Amino acid sequence: MELEELQSAWTQLSDELNHQKKLTNKIILDMTKQKYQNKFTTITKYETLGAIVCFAIAFFVILNFGKLDTWYLQVCGILTLLFLIVLPVMVLTTLKTIKNIDILNGSYKDNLKFYLKTKNKLLKLQQVGIAIGFVGLFFIVPVTSKIISNKNVFLTSLKTEQYVIFAITMIAMVFFCKWAYNGYLKVTRSAQELLQDLE
Amino acid sequence: MQKEEVFTELIQEHQALLYKVTSIYTENKEDQEDLFQEVVYQLWKYFDSFRNDSKITTWMYRVAMNTSITFIKKKKRRPDSVPIADVFLKQSDTNDDAYDERLKLLYQHLKYLNTLEKGLIFLLLEGKSYNEIADITGLSASNVGTKISRIKKKLKTNMTKQ
Repeated sequence: MELEELQSAWTQLSDELNHQKKLTNKIILDMTKQKYQNKFTTITKYETLGAIVCFAIAFFVILNFGKLDTWYLQVCGILTLLFLIVLPVMVLTTLKTIKNIDILNGSYKDNLKFYLKTKNKLLKLQQVGIAIGFVGLFFIVPVTSKIISNKNVFLTSLKTEQYVIFAITMIAMVFFCKWAYNGYLKVTRSAQELLQDLE
Repeated sequence: MQKEEVFTELIQEHQALLYKVTSIYTENKEDQEDLFQEVVYQLWKYFDSFRNDSKITTWMYRVAMNTSITFIKKKKRRPDSVPIADVFLKQSDTNDDAYDERLKLLYQHLKYLNTLEKGLIFLLLEGKSYNEIADITGLSASNVGTKISRIKKKLKTNMTKQ
């Protein structure tokens, strides 16, 4: 094949393609819209997976709730269940709302206002989740300990290694929460820029 | 006319251009589909920033080629792109075997070029002058000329080898 042949093949390709005007308005707009939704696909996947784990643990706690034989363990059990069910549901609902913003049909101003409001709600939920996560250790640990090994941690004195494990868990949680929260900030910031670019 | 209408008309009018850019930077239909969508999205994103100080096609080439470069760096297929393969991403509707064979060869030769070379030869094949290529790529016209003559040599060497 010579260079001239390359040129002629390319010209023929161009002519062919110019006759194939097959993209419709709907497809073009769908492509734009889909791109916006993709920004949240990864985060939704992780959240859904996290929620499934939370629901499974909640189900396990409900099945074994009878083992919590004192009023304070039962209070811990209820708090654990609330933490495992309510927060993931709220996060998933908010993510769904953000994903479904109609960036092409709604007015720019309304979309942006709605988006910012929902974004702030999502970040607030993350902050609440992080805060409860720390406090949560104090009511989740007694519940799991009682259910799994039938030990009431309120009545048992902890060994040094258990304190160390507890401290390491707390430190690991600080890093994990910081990483997860920064991830959220990044995604919401880029999506916000996207909406601002639209007008 | 509304912004969406102007935009969709623009894309419809120049879809061949987008098809060709995306075809030279990708090696399979899925990647091309994904890149095509990314380019359309980027064009929409920066549609308002287009000032009439250059031709709309110059701006489109620039955005499409820049997007392609970042795309091949990431080169990660997104799972849920809009399925456009059936409606557009076909090289030919003809049953001309000789033409299909020439196209296959053409893409085979382009594969030997690096990203910059692909971009330059693409614009040359599109019939752009050195000045227009310089305008789109940001290189100087003389630099474009030098690079293109090197690419031609490289292509010729590859062609004679085969």
